[in-house]
Amino acid sequence: MDPAEVEFLAEKEMVKIIPNFSLDKIYLIGGDLGPFNPGLPVEVPVWLALNLKQRQKCRIVPPEWMDTDKLEEIREQERKLDTFTPIPSPYYMELAKLLLNHSADNIPKADEIRTLVKDIWDTRVAKLRLSADSFISQQEAHAQLDNLTLMEINTTRSFLLDSLNYMYKLRSNLQPGRSQDY
Amino acid sequence: MPCERKPMRYGHSEGHTDVCFDDEGKCIVTCGSDGDVRIWESLDDDDPKSINVGEKVYSVALKNGKLVTAVSNNTVQIHTFPEGDPDGILTRFTTNANHVTFNSSGSRVAAGSSDFIVKIVEVVDSSQQKTLRGHDAPVLSVALDPSDEFLASSSCDGSVTVWSIESQTQVAQWKILQKSSDVSNAKSLCRLAWQPRSGKLLAIPVDLTIQLYDRNTWTHVSTLSGDLISQVVNVVVWSPCGKFLAAGTIGGNLLIWDVEAKLCIERQKHEKGFTVCGMAWHPSGGRIAYTDTEGCLGLLEGVSSLSSSSTVQIVNTSKETNDYDDLFDEDDDRMLDEGMSDSRSPVKKPIMEDDDDDDDLMPATGRPRNRGSFLDDDDNSQDPGSVKLDGVPEEDGSSAILPAVGPAVSRPVYEGPMPTQPQRAFQPGSTPVHLMHRFMMWNSVGIVRGYNDDQDNAIDVEFHDTAIHHAMHLTNTLGHTMADLSQEAVLLACEGNNELASKIQCLHFSCWDTHKDWIVDLPKGEDVRALCLGQGWAAVATSALMVRLFSVGGVQKEIFSLPGDVVCMAGHGEQLLIVCHRGTGFDGDQALGIQLLQLGHKRRQVIHGEPLPLSRKSYLAWMDFTAEGTPCCIDSEGVVRMLNRTLGNMWTPVCNTRDSCKSKSDHYWVVGVHENPQQLRCIPCKGARYPPTLPRPAVAVLPFNLLYCQTTTEKGQMEEQYWRSVLFQNHYGFLSSSGYEIDSEGQSRAEKEQQELLMKMFALSCKLEREFRCVELAEMMTHSVVTLAIRYASRSRRMALAQRLSELALEKASQCQEEEQEEEEPAYQSHTSREYRGSNQMSRRQAPVENGCEEEEEYPQEEQMDAEESTETRKLSMHASFSSILFQEYLINIFKLQVSGAGKSSSSPAGQPRTTNVLDSMTMSSRKPAPISGTSKQGKAPVLKPLAPKPKSKVQSMSASKGNSKKLEDSQSEAEKVKPAPAATPPASAENIENRKPKTGFQLWLEENRKSILADNPDFEEMDVIKEGMGRFRTLSAEERLNWTERAKGDSDPKKRKREDEGQVDEQMESNEGSTKKKKPLDTSAKLSAFAFNKE
Repeated sequence: MDPAEVEFLAEKEMVKIIPNFSLDKIYLIGGDLGPFNPGLPVEVPVWLALNLKQRQKCRIVPPEWMDTDKLEEIREQERKLDTFTPIPSPYYMELAKLLLNHSADNIPKADEIRTLVKDIWDTRVAKLRLSADSFISQQEAHAQLDNLTLMEINTTRSFLLDSLNYMYKLRSNLQPGRSQDY
Repeated sequence: MPCERKPMRYGHSEGHTDVCFDDEGKCIVTCGSDGDVRIWESLDDDDPKSINVGEKVYSVALKNGKLVTAVSNNTVQIHTFPEGDPDGILTRFTTNANHVTFNSSGSRVAAGSSDFIVKIVEVVDSSQQKTLRGHDAPVLSVALDPSDEFLASSSCDGSVTVWSIESQTQVAQWKILQKSSDVSNAKSLCRLAWQPRSGKLLAIPVDLTIQLYDRNTWTHVSTLSGDLISQVVNVVVWSPCGKFLAAGTIGGNLLIWDVEAKLCIERQKHEKGFTVCGMAWHPSGGRIAYTDTEGCLGLLEGVSSLSSSSTVQIVNTSKETNDYDDLFDEDDDRMLDEGMSDSRSPVKKPIMEDDDDDDDLMPATGRPRNRGSFLDDDDNSQDPGSVKLDGVPEEDGSSAILPAVGPAVSRPVYEGPMPTQPQRAFQPGSTPVHLMHRFMMWNSVGIVRGYNDDQDNAIDVEFHDTAIHHAMHLTNTLGHTMADLSQEAVLLACEGNNELASKIQCLHFSCWDTHKDWIVDLPKGEDVRALCLGQGWAAVATSALMVRLFSVGGVQKEIFSLPGDVVCMAGHGEQLLIVCHRGTGFDGDQALGIQLLQLGHKRRQVIHGEPLPLSRKSYLAWMDFTAEGTPCCIDSEGVVRMLNRTLGNMWTPVCNTRDSCKSKSDHYWVVGVHENPQQLRCIPCKGARYPPTLPRPAVAVLPFNLLYCQTTTEKGQMEEQYWRSVLFQNHYGFLSSSGYEIDSEGQSRAEKEQQELLMKMFALSCKLEREFRCVELAEMMTHSVVTLAIRYASRSRRMALAQRLSELALEKASQCQEEEQEEEEPAYQSHTSREYRGSNQMSRRQAPVENGCEEEEEYPQEEQMDAEESTETRKLSMHASFSSILFQEYLINIFKLQVSGAGKSSSSPAGQPRTTNVLDSMTMSSRKPAPISGTSKQGKAPVLKPLAPKPKSKVQSMSASKGNSKKLEDSQSEAEKVKPAPAATPPASAENIENRKPKTGFQLWLEENRKSILADNPDFEEMDVIKEGMGRFRTLSAEERLNWTERAKGDSDPKKRKREDEGQVDEQMESNEGSTKKKKPLDTSAKLSAFAFNKE
């Protein structure tokens, strides 16, 4: 899976916007959206929010978790614990990237948030690598990893699977050799 | 006791707090575990100044503009006050200090630390330190003696020690406290306190009591305790006069003792029972501020008045003790203090004073000197201005002052309610003027922000809908403080000063010429107080009690006077709303009057300055029109009231925003009210009344909630919903009457919702066997729904109820008919809309509708003319379709009786509008394929014929009806289960009632045409005759039928009737030949003949 595909999935998440135009309900396959009243918050999917934002038709209200205090808390928690902590949004990385890239002006302390999200991401991915390492070194058959997001799984998937495959190949090459020895 | 406990407010985050007053008592200073020191102008100060001094503040002390704090980084710091700039570190410990305190002159600071050490530091030169070592555990509290000789300290080692400052040695030590290992484990904070001025007594909180030690002998003098103290005393403070001692306990009790009399004169309980950990007495002695471990700040108000009442007690008791001089001397001091502090509430005092005088006058002979001075004091207390004279007469004034006693006694004493400060004018939707960054206006059009700081004095105008206009940035050179915003213009105004007149500036951005703005100067001395914009006009209320109207282009228009100072104004369309003071309010209430003017073509005053209802002790916080144009107001208690135009312009509370607040100091700042959809748009403000401009606040939507009783029950809920829907539908009537376009879909939706609710309530009360209530509910229904109710009632075997309802239905039908007749010609427009509505509603009810629809199908071109008739018949048909066999029987009975009555005499009062209707329905039902099928079956399998008429909203109504009917059926079948069919007995009384009804047109017609029908079909029975008659009657044109109904009223002349009869006969001939299929051409010919007849 491409990261872009994951991002595409993330664009289905709902986010609040404050439109500056007036429009009746719109009926889409995915569901009804609106009505849009100028000045009144309304929930729309991220893709629409970004589109409207780019056309300067709305302001995006950052999701609740996109707040320095909350993210700091999560970061501390993430650093403290060995396991993965529950994350406020399954698409936190993608949403943070999308929203911060396109509507940083509507998000207070955007830079801090960017750093915090990156920190959280780094911590989690490091943990993931660490656990993959121990998984392989201890030759476990299965491992349980809770609270991982799609993007995180995605980053490690290709590498982990490929390397496991290679290792399997190497081992199986080794085995016949050994058997020859016997 | 008249001591008033103000509500607590959130001050700091949870944890230890401390509080003190500044030297003048203007501000309250608090500190908390969030590391901030906050300076509050008053308890209501929503924007306290915050100084961050560290991570955690343990104690704060303030004197001479120096703010000393004990901070968690083990230092004692100084900040300047009130600026809050850091002014150096006073001293350091190896761990944090627990308590800091100033001496009385403010030259020294004492601090006790957890490292067992007490330090005394000179404020000016922090190198001059004295260290007192001797405690074996963390020091809890320190107190400096007013004469700077001694220092008292309490510690976790269980001891209270008095040190000599000079020699740094222990003078006395009492092991009276409970030992503990650390401050956090100590039961009490054990805040010590020396008696001010003399320093004669040292108060120590010991367990549940307060022990007083004498300064000279260091012996235990007395113990203050109260039966109310159930938990350890945490803090003690002396009043500035030294006569009273206040204590706060772990359990949240606040007590005040009169030390001399050892009387507990005041008990208050913390509203939540949290631990009181900081207390401070206002320098004037009138109030006590206290904080708790949850970070909240509270205030006891009016402590002075209770202390004066206790003076009476003191005077009484002291008479025995012969200790006059001493006592009165002290009293003087106290009175002085009090005189000052009491200037705020001068009235409470004299009440006490009378007692004083009386008490004192009787034993007057003994000691004139003292008495004189005492009385003098009282005069002072009544007239705080003369306090300063007090010192003089004390020496020599005995005889000179005595005469003053007379007037003092005879002076009228006012005990009544106190007038309230009238509230100042404000712009609804603006935040206070004193803020540097504020909202000058936030309404449904946009936001006007004002910035007034060092760099910039500017105004930003932003529109919610950028289609109206792009955002604007204006430099505010004139210093505008008021603003309003509409779809057409921005109106700004500033108050005048000595040089400049008050100005109004209008940016008319929708103007099509090049000059988009205009400025008007008001006459000198006249200031703008409030302003608003309407559609094409602007209104400005001024300090000269006038309202000036302008056109939006700047033409001056009418001016008129106001009965009082304006509070606020609002405009919408052609309506102008003005709120002004009607008089003086008392005891915190405001006396506001409201005027609603209709400008534009038909100018009139709709509300003539009637009082505006507000909550008790509250003021007006917001006032504007809803988006639909209904006036709406919100008071400071958060109650939203809306004008109810159908209830004689009364105000109905529709919401209390405070109910949705999580904490007491949270508020909702309302920015707009919408009736369709029902939305209260507001901004949640945490811990404040107003939102800050940054970060940009987000709008939230609150639902409305009428304050109906028992809304937890289903009945209450439905009642609330129903009346809310009715109330919020009022604007349709208003809008259409004033010629605006209305959302007829929304209106019909609301009406449908109401009728559904009524039906549900009806079903509920049916289940509860409240039949009277059922009828009451049915009275509120439209007649189409009444028929549904009848069906429901008969289905659930409530024949008596069904009977009553059918009477009601007929009444309604005839009422409706009359109404429609009256307004038929002049109000064609509304007529059609009504018809549309009616049919819309009808088509929603599945089974019975088909008849009506069929008819409509048959006469599409006649539809409009025929509307009322067909509605009626349809209603009746509905009535019919539900009627089960049981019911049918009963109907036949009625029918027979009535027919005989009708046959006898046409003039008899036995008119049967209902009978006809019943008959009508009969025919309809018999026309149906299976009228004799089982009751339940009939209900469950309504015959739905293909419906064609009224393509408008067909789909919608169909889908709506499905859910609706299903629900109804469910509840019906349920109800049936509950009530296992009691045998239906037709009530006899009903027939009697019926006989009184006037005849309908159809009956008259039938009487006259019976013969012809019989002639055509000689084998017809009575029933068939009527059936046939019904069929024929229906084929008559609307005018003809109208004629008949008019005749039924008895005002048509015989001649005319005759002619009509002729026409009728002809028509009948034709109709007899025609089968149902032929009805259409028949009808047109009938119509034509009617037309011809009319022409004659």
